Amino acid sequence: MIVPGRQRSLRALLLRLLLPPVALTLAIGTYAAYRVAADPGTEAYDQSLLNTALALGERIRAQDGRVAFDLPNVAERIARSDKYDEIFYIVRGPTGELIAGDASVPPPPAGALPEDGVTAYDGTYEGKPVRVVSVLVPCGGQTCSVSMAETTIKRQRLAREILASSVLPQALLAVFALALVWFGVARGLRPLQDLSREIGARSPRDLRPLDAGKSPAEARPLVDSINHLLGEVTEAHRNQQRFLANAAHQLRTPLAGLQAHAELALAQPMPDACRVEIVQVHGASVRTARLANQLLALARVEAGIRAESDGSRADLRQVVEGAADEWVHRALERDIDLGFELEDVSVSGDALLLREALANLVHNALEYTPAGGRVTVRMSNSAAHARVEVEDDGPGIAPGERSRVLERFYRAPGTSGTGSGLGLAIVREIAAAHGAKIEIGEGEGGRGCRVMLLFPAGVN
Amino acid sequence: MRILIVEDDSALGSGLVRILQAEGYAVDLMPRGEQAVLAAERERFDLVILDVGLPGIDGFEVLRRLREGAQRMPVLVLTARDTVDDRVHGLDLGADDYMAKPFAMPELAARVRALIRRSQAQTGPRVVHGPLMLDTVARRAYLRGAPLDLAAREWAVLEVLLARVERIVSKESIIQAVASWGDELSPNAIEVYVSRLRSKLEPAGIRIRTVRGFGYMLEEHAESQ
Repeated sequence: MIVPGRQRSLRALLLRLLLPPVALTLAIGTYAAYRVAADPGTEAYDQSLLNTALALGERIRAQDGRVAFDLPNVAERIARSDKYDEIFYIVRGPTGELIAGDASVPPPPAGALPEDGVTAYDGTYEGKPVRVVSVLVPCGGQTCSVSMAETTIKRQRLAREILASSVLPQALLAVFALALVWFGVARGLRPLQDLSREIGARSPRDLRPLDAGKSPAEARPLVDSINHLLGEVTEAHRNQQRFLANAAHQLRTPLAGLQAHAELALAQPMPDACRVEIVQVHGASVRTARLANQLLALARVEAGIRAESDGSRADLRQVVEGAADEWVHRALERDIDLGFELEDVSVSGDALLLREALANLVHNALEYTPAGGRVTVRMSNSAAHARVEVEDDGPGIAPGERSRVLERFYRAPGTSGTGSGLGLAIVREIAAAHGAKIEIGEGEGGRGCRVMLLFPAGVN
Repeated sequence: MRILIVEDDSALGSGLVRILQAEGYAVDLMPRGEQAVLAAERERFDLVILDVGLPGIDGFEVLRRLREGAQRMPVLVLTARDTVDDRVHGLDLGADDYMAKPFAMPELAARVRALIRRSQAQTGPRVVHGPLMLDTVARRAYLRGAPLDLAAREWAVLEVLLARVERIVSKESIIQAVASWGDELSPNAIEVYVSRLRSKLEPAGIRIRTVRGFGYMLEEHAESQ
């Protein structure tokens, strides 16, 4: 989830680094706890065995060089009784011969040095592990020995209890530490996930810097670098906007002059041959101006960024009302009835680009509709869409041509007029930049052409 | 009528000068904003045509200084930039109209006439449109010199249209201008007033064009060109 698949995982790395010291600490802790608690416990049990052995040793009698051991049955039962373990004993004479007891009790290991006559050791009795305490006792001027063997049930029990009481908490601590790493990594990286979600959810137009205050200190260098980059991109976009504004100015002003002088010339008396040429010059200057506008509009859509207008809403009714005067005059020149069916429609986006899109649709309709025709700009709201359309009763666009007319510089075969073939391509790009669908169909009654822009419904 | 043109492009500037001279105006051309501000302080102009993109101080700054100096003449801003901000900025600073380059000369001439007419209506008592004359002080209308009977609301509608000759005017803005008379007005009521105005004015060649679904436009009268 944080780092997918084969990429290096911070979590795995931390676990790899932490696991050996944790395991070592656990092992040492267990051993130390066991030694500290188990040795005194074992010594107490050994002492109890020793006391019994010494008591049995007092029952050895030496008479006439013969060693005898006399233990009443009752005493033997008492000596060998224990709540958990079985107890066995053996009494050996000065030469190690069996005097009484159980021959299966293991002898002290060879070379074991008794301390104050006592040897404690581990052995086996008929395959069972036993603890043996052997003590040397005097018998008629010689030395005999008494060995008490005890199975290890209560000693093991003691060991288990010690393990349970000291090792379990340590083990839990270790598990807790590892779990802390596992979940702590996820918790610690959550601000980064939030950050990536924030960046992912942004529109490409939104170049505002990220809020560094929301990120942990460790992520600050990352946030700062991203903000630095965003700043540079914003600056580059600003430069581009400045360039476009300057280019617009540099292109349009001389074109306006050219158009003015052509119009002035046409107002003068002149030979017809001359007039034909000037009409051409005038027409070319008008078309060039239009083309310059379109190319600038296209460049602006492609720049695709107006960080300052991000999230702003454009009132389409206002857009249309602001441009209607120019459109109506253009329609009157061509003797076309331009009408409106307006509603309050607003969409999220850039009013200037939307105006350019609508102007292209209207200009197209006016261009291709014959004199006496009718063009209508219509807008409406529905649950799903904010809808703007331009309908004419001109020749229309053949179904097979409808998708191709949206391509740049494409002009349908047999097209009259003087268009550049850029108008609808610009409309398409602007629509796409606003998440709008563009649909081309027939006008009312199957005549003419209707181009519809369907914007996602917003809050009006 | 004297017009000051502030435009640094010599081809466009000289074209504008000749077109407006042909319309019968006295025209001065200045390529720099600083000059224009000085000239406007010394002499009286009835209209300023102002380019935004000037060397030195730009058109907005010229406009600001003119308005600061209490110069109230109408200002038509020409711009080659195409940002909405520019337009809003210009209107905020007190521009009266706005045209984007390039433009057709007849449209420029019509805007100039409309601006001058509007400023005269604000400063003088008489508005003339072809054979129609409105005496705004006495609130009397004359058609070819003969008194013309207009109801109060017909007068109000006609005043709105006359202020924007050759420009389309939405029904809503007519309602807003006329509604100060009292009750609310429906778009249908406006249609009634316009049709009464038409029957009174059309015999004299004054035409009010309907813009379907939008409003109306008082057409330029042949005699006022």
